[in-house]
Amino acid sequence: MNYFFNKNGPLISTYLIISIGFWLVFLIIIPQLYMFDLSFRPNIPSLLRGGPDDVYTLTHYKHFLFGSETSGESYNYVDVGVFKDTLLIAVLITFINLCFCYPIAFYIAKVASANTARLLIVSLIIPFWINELLRSFALRILFAGEGFINNVLIKLGLIDNGINFIAMDVALYTGLNYAYILLMIFPLYNAMDTLDKNQLEAAEDLGSSMLKTHFRIVIPHAKAGIASGCTMVFMLTAGALATPVVLSSPNTFWFTQLIYQWFNMNDNWPRGAAYSVMLLSVSVVFVLLMMKIFKVKIGEIVR
Amino acid sequence: MKSQQALNILLGIYIFIFFAYLFGPLVIMSITAFNSAEFPSVTPWECFSFRWFNEGKIAYDGQHLAGLATDWRLHEGLITSLKIGLGVVLLAVPIGLAAALVLTQVHSRFRTAFYSISIMPVLFPGVIIGISTVVLWDRIATMGGGGLATQLGRNGIFLTILAQTCFISTYCFLIFVARLQRFDQTQEEAALDLGANQTQVFFKILIPYMMPAIASSCVIAFLASFENYNTTVFSILSDQTLTTVIASKVRLGISPAISSLALVIILITLVVTILYEVLRRREDKKKKEFEAEALFAQTSGSRLRKAEKNGLKMPKSIFSILFVVVVCIFGFNKMVEKGLYGSTCIAATEKQKKSNFADQLKLLQKNAEKANQISSENGDAGEKKEFDSIFGDPNLFKDFGGFDSKAQEQD
Repeated sequence: MNYFFNKNGPLISTYLIISIGFWLVFLIIIPQLYMFDLSFRPNIPSLLRGGPDDVYTLTHYKHFLFGSETSGESYNYVDVGVFKDTLLIAVLITFINLCFCYPIAFYIAKVASANTARLLIVSLIIPFWINELLRSFALRILFAGEGFINNVLIKLGLIDNGINFIAMDVALYTGLNYAYILLMIFPLYNAMDTLDKNQLEAAEDLGSSMLKTHFRIVIPHAKAGIASGCTMVFMLTAGALATPVVLSSPNTFWFTQLIYQWFNMNDNWPRGAAYSVMLLSVSVVFVLLMMKIFKVKIGEIVR
Repeated sequence: MKSQQALNILLGIYIFIFFAYLFGPLVIMSITAFNSAEFPSVTPWECFSFRWFNEGKIAYDGQHLAGLATDWRLHEGLITSLKIGLGVVLLAVPIGLAAALVLTQVHSRFRTAFYSISIMPVLFPGVIIGISTVVLWDRIATMGGGGLATQLGRNGIFLTILAQTCFISTYCFLIFVARLQRFDQTQEEAALDLGANQTQVFFKILIPYMMPAIASSCVIAFLASFENYNTTVFSILSDQTLTTVIASKVRLGISPAISSLALVIILITLVVTILYEVLRRREDKKKKEFEAEALFAQTSGSRLRKAEKNGLKMPKSIFSILFVVVVCIFGFNKMVEKGLYGSTCIAATEKQKKSNFADQLKLLQKNAEKANQISSENGDAGEKKEFDSIFGDPNLFKDFGGFDSKAQEQD
């Protein structure tokens, strides 16, 4: 500690300690712990907090699993269903994104010339800077009942009546895929960029087929990038709120929308907190799983 | 070799499709901003107009659709967003810098732990950061008993700044860490040996070295704050930022005003990106020239120096810009010729729509009368089949208003 003060001088040391303490303790750790605590509390007016009614309870988690006590169902098929669907679709979208982005990342990193690569990267960044809501809105225009795709299809005579893409959730899934596709490309690109081109040429000279080269050389090399991209895309997809708000059909819920409902419409904050804790724990489990599968450190995932 | 060529062509097509997928929706959205129709669309093209950038319109059915320049909610949201962005930059950049500096100094035993905690916020879903901040501050506000804490705890802007700082600090942290890795520590030592104190070293050596990283993290922090929705929607409480205004607009029914807003944002992004790219290229070129000069000085008299090329150099990009401008002017002229632009066109479509609407009303009335007649003739109250056929007429409400049918269902 003394060493720290000596090295930085009194003024800078104070600045460092205050800002880091504020960030780590006050912005990251305490809010999460308090939310965790709140998720085990009953839903009572905030003035009664700390009073005799404020005891630990598992009602909110029970509600998630079994539904309200008056319902006759054996389990809360609505909420559990939404949760399951959200996670499954997030995994699926992550996988599709990976397949979709892999060739592009490989092209930019290894095939294209330096100038082309630079141009492609810049043009990839541009849509990424535009608000997620507005990008979803662009898809909404395409997929709406009287939207662009329907109109074109009708004009071409392929269909007679408009297809309701939004009710079929096609719009939602495309939107989620579209929203986070760049977070898959950049980690992949960064990982592949460090691969020595000579290795690829050596593999080709030794008679390896292209597929084999990818499976034996490129993918093992880009493993950290794959893990990183998959984690980011999964996290963002599972935790997405903007895209489902714009594109989801009235009868489809994304899990974050459920949380939003408990918070803002039903005014049951502890239950919202409980649902958030569940989403958070799944996210943590997914990160750990990724680290285990790809044998990478957490530092390699976030770059 | 032939298969290789075929493969390259396939790859080219794939990349084309990919970029079309990436940009197509944005381009179509931008085009819809110029269509005068109430529903953002391309194919039933009414008139070319700037109304969605200016005053919007009042539809003939009395619905007011605000344009970009007259929408006070959007303006208020924009101001709130700017305030929040400024606050986040002021908080997140120093925090990120501090964390990156400490990371280089902590004992290697704690380094992994410290690093893991610092990057955790990026892995949290955004909604959860917003929620946890709100619940914590609600508790603090209740305990504060009407004092400053209560006021702060119920202030949406303050909460949003805190919540966004939580994860945006990590972005800044990562940028600073990357820059610090290339920092030459001997510079610090030299300054200390020459008698500077630690504070002087910090301000005279470290900060100037970190300046590019500070600039880019300011920009990224501001942008991340500006376009954030997931966290903001919880922490903003009763206020409105630009993103929450957009979200509520989109939920209420989609209007081309949003397209025009998006187009403005796209254009700003484009200009900033191009500027950044030009500056970067210029710097690269300067660096290269400098290096070549140094090389030449080392090996003077050799053949290394390139012959100076004099003469007017035109960047190739100028041609593409000129091409776009020419196409735009030509297209605009054509449009004016065909009478697709200007108040006359708008008036004409408006009139047609009104008469369509009136026709439909008349038809409806007539059908109703007919049904009444039939039912009175038959003595049967409301023959269901007839009514079905009235409302089953697919052309009946086709041109009515032009809502998004989905949005109506959703509400």
